Amino acid sequence: MHQANISRPITDPLTTSPSSIASAGLSRAPLSTGERAQVGGLVSAGEATEPLVHVDNLRIHFPPRRAPIRVVEGVSYSVARGETLGIVGESGSGKTLSSLAILRLLPRPAQIAGGRIVFEGEDLAAKSDEEMRRLRGKRIAMVFQNPGFSLHPLMTIGAQLSEILAVHERLARKDADARVEELLRLVGISDPGARIRQYPHELSGGMKQRVCIARALLCNPSLVLADEPTTSLDVTIQAQILELFEELKARFRMSMIFVTHDMGVVARIADRIAVMYAGQICETADASTIFSDPQHPYTRALLGSTPRVDQRSTRASGFRLPTIGGSGPTIMQQGDGCRFATRCPEAGPECARLAPLPLAVGPRHIVHCLKRGSAGEANHA
Amino acid sequence: MSDSSSLNASVLPDDAAVLARHKPKGIWRQGCERFLHSRTGMLGLVLVALVVAVAVFGPFLAPFDPHDQSAMLDPGAKAPPSWVHPLGTDRMAYDVASRVIYGAPTALIVGLGAMSIAAFVGVVVGGIAGYRGGLTDEIIMRATDFFLVIPVFVVILAVVRLLSSMVVNTPLESIPYLNLGTIIVLIGIFGWAPIARMTRAEFLRLKNQEFIEAARCIGATTGDILFRHILPNALPSLIVMVALGIGGAILSEAMIGFLGFGDPKAVSWGQLLFFNYESLKVAPWASLAPGAAIFVTVLGFNLLADGLSDAFNPRSGR
Amino acid sequence: MLEPVRSAAASDPLLTVRNLSKSYPVTRSGLLRKKIVGTIDAVKEVSFSVHAGETLSIVGESGCGKTTTARSILNLVAPTSGEIQYQGRDVVKTFATGGREDALALRRQMQYVFQDPYLSLNPRWSVRQILREPLRIHRRGEPATWDDQIEHLLARVGLPASYADRYPHEFSGGQRQRIGIARALAVEPRLLICDEPVSSLDVSVRAQILNLLADLQDDLGLSYLYISHDLGSVRFLSRRVAVMYLGTIVEIGDVDAIFDRPRHHYTAALLSAIPVPDPTRVATAKGVRGEAPSVTERPRGCPFHTRCPAALPVCRDEMPALVPSDPDHKLACHNPR
Repeated sequence: MHQANISRPITDPLTTSPSSIASAGLSRAPLSTGERAQVGGLVSAGEATEPLVHVDNLRIHFPPRRAPIRVVEGVSYSVARGETLGIVGESGSGKTLSSLAILRLLPRPAQIAGGRIVFEGEDLAAKSDEEMRRLRGKRIAMVFQNPGFSLHPLMTIGAQLSEILAVHERLARKDADARVEELLRLVGISDPGARIRQYPHELSGGMKQRVCIARALLCNPSLVLADEPTTSLDVTIQAQILELFEELKARFRMSMIFVTHDMGVVARIADRIAVMYAGQICETADASTIFSDPQHPYTRALLGSTPRVDQRSTRASGFRLPTIGGSGPTIMQQGDGCRFATRCPEAGPECARLAPLPLAVGPRHIVHCLKRGSAGEANHA
Repeated sequence: MSDSSSLNASVLPDDAAVLARHKPKGIWRQGCERFLHSRTGMLGLVLVALVVAVAVFGPFLAPFDPHDQSAMLDPGAKAPPSWVHPLGTDRMAYDVASRVIYGAPTALIVGLGAMSIAAFVGVVVGGIAGYRGGLTDEIIMRATDFFLVIPVFVVILAVVRLLSSMVVNTPLESIPYLNLGTIIVLIGIFGWAPIARMTRAEFLRLKNQEFIEAARCIGATTGDILFRHILPNALPSLIVMVALGIGGAILSEAMIGFLGFGDPKAVSWGQLLFFNYESLKVAPWASLAPGAAIFVTVLGFNLLADGLSDAFNPRSGR
Repeated sequence: MLEPVRSAAASDPLLTVRNLSKSYPVTRSGLLRKKIVGTIDAVKEVSFSVHAGETLSIVGESGCGKTTTARSILNLVAPTSGEIQYQGRDVVKTFATGGREDALALRRQMQYVFQDPYLSLNPRWSVRQILREPLRIHRRGEPATWDDQIEHLLARVGLPASYADRYPHEFSGGQRQRIGIARALAVEPRLLICDEPVSSLDVSVRAQILNLLADLQDDLGLSYLYISHDLGSVRFLSRRVAVMYLGTIVEIGDVDAIFDRPRHHYTAALLSAIPVPDPTRVATAKGVRGEAPSVTERPRGCPFHTRCPAALPVCRDEMPALVPSDPDHKLACHNPR
């Protein structure tokens, strides 16, 4: 049934084993708390099952005069301590908005319309603006896509980094400078003593991004939000920055939410992956599972339609890339049903109407698709 | 072929159905629609339309001839508003309402005339500078800077005064409204610099855009590129500047008139102020009425420019 | 005068570029004049050829000169020196001093597909106006037939005829790129120069456009010069590839040979840097250290020696020439892998 006319990913076996479908049938309803904790991710022996961040049924709306535009609809995920969650999606998938919502930094007029964001056991919605301000940069830090725009052009690197320490940690100037230098060295900047006296425009794009990463790490944050941090960089520089992230992950047991559109990048950096389309999560699973056993038609299509540099092209024999028809997601896509339904080769009439509730199809593997699990369809009927 | 193309084919018509629901709109029509929804723009348009209507239908609206001083006898000079003279009479017993009404065409001619000259010179000069670039650009822009820094007013006043004394006893004297024409030309000549700067900036921005290069790749001629690609895309910003400039030109002419350098034969609001400001306390209507006319007209053009700017450059405003 | 197009033998290249260079003066503005204080070599002595029906890709990172190279061919930038020949015609001379008809005749052979579909379509023109322009300029048939031709072009790129009266802003990126391709096809060229045609598109739309390019090539026998930094799409679309670094070609040859077994250290670094969507695949080669020097401070000798893991003393002084290493494989390296 799945094989209908979906683009077949080159490497991945399509068929789901019968046992996983059987287990899938068990839970069409939203997952119970117990199962959620399991979804949470790496649970180390000493720590409780409490994840570091838990986003539950997050909804973000643009409020126009009449009906709001529901740009993010029912997004849930958790990040355990020391874990990196990769959020993958195309432009317009709501991946950036849903991560900015954690910092309560949504660009106007977007606003959180519902759902809970629990960070280190505290509900962020209940916090005052002042409390959020103290949280940002200190306990949750951010690395942006364009390092050129996120550094102050008229302040030296050293000045803008030690200012953060002065604000959040009330460090003396000298101590702050020492810490800035130490961190710059840590992110692979040679001769940090000279670099702190330079201005952003004197550094290359890769260097600037390293400075931004150092800035994010200044206050030992519990969580780093990285929004397409390598997209504006050249591939060889991107590889260096990804390597840096890997080192930092291992060294600090850093928790990270890594937002990107690139399946290759996320494969390298993430422990768990959430795939988003038009404001909804399609599939969440461990990184290896997403690539070895993708269940959602969108995930499969994304993997299949990317030409691989490490595989010989068979164009001579008339090979074409498997494609997803139609255009990418737009924020105007509405409705309660699955928003991928209009482009989905497997979609049935019910897909456009019924919300694709989460379904566990394997250990720590959740799919939001009505076409997965036969018992689920019975439940809806 | 593979299944991919069949997929495409099945999906695109769906998109077509979505698109078909709303009619195709050019960027011009979209702008017009946005303009119709902007409150400031529509208020400006109403005010400007009012002034234009008054100017066109003035002879039918005005109760008296603008040069009729017969009121000197009956209600006398500086008479307060009455049924016969709805806005009273002024220092020289002209009917204020009629003078204000006959001032409208003068104001519009000054505004449109001066700005046509300024727009023409500005677009040509700025266009050449922006498109050619290099040394041409450098020279032209320094000249533009020169026109931006000279004290326009002093120059206009001096030229008007000189000219009016020079033409005495020459055949030129018989040219009707020579003074007014001079003022229009001078305001135009000194008003092109900002338009040239804007045109240059727009041409510079547009000439390296990919769609211009695409036109060049196809083999479009320089004329095609200038007049079919660049100019229409630069036009919205230019229209906004011209609308603003019309208000400015009207104000300049009023100021020249107020200083007593206006055309004695023309009926102009500035001159009405000039004739009557001394009797402001005795006959306030005689100065307030032309003042209000200037205010409404300039405000109208400024609001219009504002609305156009919001409508055609939607990203800049919000 | 334009010599008639020879019916070239299959082995004759369609497009030949020889020792193409483009340098920009570095100026410092003085009081009155700008002083020229040096030059930047954006492209330096680049040579390659494109055969009929094949795709040559040029890959490299930003600033490597691949786009400048592509743009020189259609005279969007005037090359400083070097030779470009299209089937024996001197392209540079035709555009610089030839008559308009000769230039138009060349443009009918070669067309350009731009990178950004949002910027490459005149926002004030409908699709019909955009597609009619090349028909008008090149006088393709009677004006009465243009609407039919436009419909045909739209169908060719997979768009319904009803789109003709819509404006660019109503379309998604992928649809705009289809329109851009249709415009290029309007004059029935034999060579398309595609400058990163999919890099600004979303992943799910990219494959559609790549397939479209493949379909067009198979159906119309087009040749492509495909410029990209996305090596996956290069491998899918092309048979031969040229790798550029700091304005020079460091390696050129068969795409499978180069991608499977790169000989130049930069090519190897570039390939190993591409993140592969497969978490089980551990990065085989260590990434290259350091960053590309800017073209203003282009190193003497081999441009890559500052980052090269296998640099020899000779690399610092002497620029390696691009010489054949295998059949259909040229390499510019003193100490290849």
